[in-house]
Amino acid sequence: MASAAAAATGAPARASFALKQAQVPVSKISNVRSVSLPIGGRSFPSLKARRFQVSCAAKKETVDKVCQIVRKQLALPDDASVTGESKFANLGADSLDTVEIVMGLEEEFGISVEEESAQSITTVQEAADMIEKLIEK
Amino acid sequence: MILSRRVVISAMNAVCFKRSFATASSPLVPVQLPSRKEAHLWYVVPDEVKSSALLHNYLDILSPSEKENVFHKRGEQLQKAALLARVLVRTTIARYQINGQVDPRSLKFKKNIHGKPELEWNDDQCQCAPSLQFNISHTSSLILCGVTVDSLIGVDLEEKQRKLKNNILAFARRYFTPHEVKFLSSISDPVVQQQYFVKLWTLKESYVKALGKGFSGLPFRMFTIQFRTAEKGNSCPSGETNNKGEIIVKSLEDVNSFSSNWQFALLELAGSHYAAICMEKDEAVEGEVPTPMKLTVRKTIPYVRDELISGPDAFVISGLT
Repeated sequence: MASAAAAATGAPARASFALKQAQVPVSKISNVRSVSLPIGGRSFPSLKARRFQVSCAAKKETVDKVCQIVRKQLALPDDASVTGESKFANLGADSLDTVEIVMGLEEEFGISVEEESAQSITTVQEAADMIEKLIEK
Repeated sequence: MILSRRVVISAMNAVCFKRSFATASSPLVPVQLPSRKEAHLWYVVPDEVKSSALLHNYLDILSPSEKENVFHKRGEQLQKAALLARVLVRTTIARYQINGQVDPRSLKFKKNIHGKPELEWNDDQCQCAPSLQFNISHTSSLILCGVTVDSLIGVDLEEKQRKLKNNILAFARRYFTPHEVKFLSSISDPVVQQQYFVKLWTLKESYVKALGKGFSGLPFRMFTIQFRTAEKGNSCPSGETNNKGEIIVKSLEDVNSFSSNWQFALLELAGSHYAAICMEKDEAVEGEVPTPMKLTVRKTIPYVRDELISGPDAFVISGLT
């Protein structure tokens, strides 16, 4: 993923969009909306691409922030790898940790997560996806 | 409540185990089923299980998917706790020998709609098997399994000194009921307040686990846990150990009711943990004077050593009046 590559090379977070797009596999991107602006009856592919890039960048920042909150809650060592696929339970989170993580995400992103949804947040990516969904509302 | 005095059960030659472990000297010691109002608690202290050969043999007891779950955990300590949790569940259930000798490896489990694990028996076993109920909880330093016959049970463990990353009252305001927030706010000593937070959390967890619903199935703000001392009718933090008091649960949906078919016990285990036990009351005594829950606590290293435990390693803080 682009985030891992950036971290490894020490590249600053604000890489060019074109570079990011090339590095991130399309299949890993969820919740991508392509917007076509009909002008003179035709849609413009370049505008679709820009929208794609914006969604991609937002997701990375969200995932990174979730990773940060998870690291802090579970007091993970710096060399512990935490990615979108990381399952909270496998990192050592028990039910109280998970609820604290959700509370941390609520405060960080200004959202409200129903308790009923809490059990569907088992990985970093799932948390990021839920955040994106709630922010869009 | 009744706890037996401390007894060490040495290796018994009652049952032959088909496959003997290289390092273990005794087979799984069988035990009688708990009675209708009784819960058996079994616990393992991971730090006391040091032999890598024994751990290797334990791995053999697990199903392929359980093994996979263990290996997905990050780091040795988490893997060991996950392994011991499954070993404790399988070996504990196997001791009750419901249909004769049971190989722990042969047990099958399924999950209910909320994800609570349950035993799955074959058709031919189903007829005569009494309904063994179990629930498990663990931290990195203690594994606990509770077993009953026919009564739903939920157990939850937490280290006594568990600290929240968030502020306790902020957390309680977000997830607990107003009554519980008020109760916690009334405790001025921060150490006692933190302890009561952990007690409330474990009791609430044990309730939703007994119901089989979990945190998402029954949000914590939908029901209140209250501590009641025997003399007064009000809830207040009671530090005295000679006045155990009662723990009750009230549904917020129906304010005037309280769930009388659930009983709770709160224990201090191994000097380091709070253990909350929630158990369905026996229907047979409905309308009569409620009889206290009976608990039998055993510490175990499966295939190595079992001990019946009483205080100070296991004593009741609240409940069971």
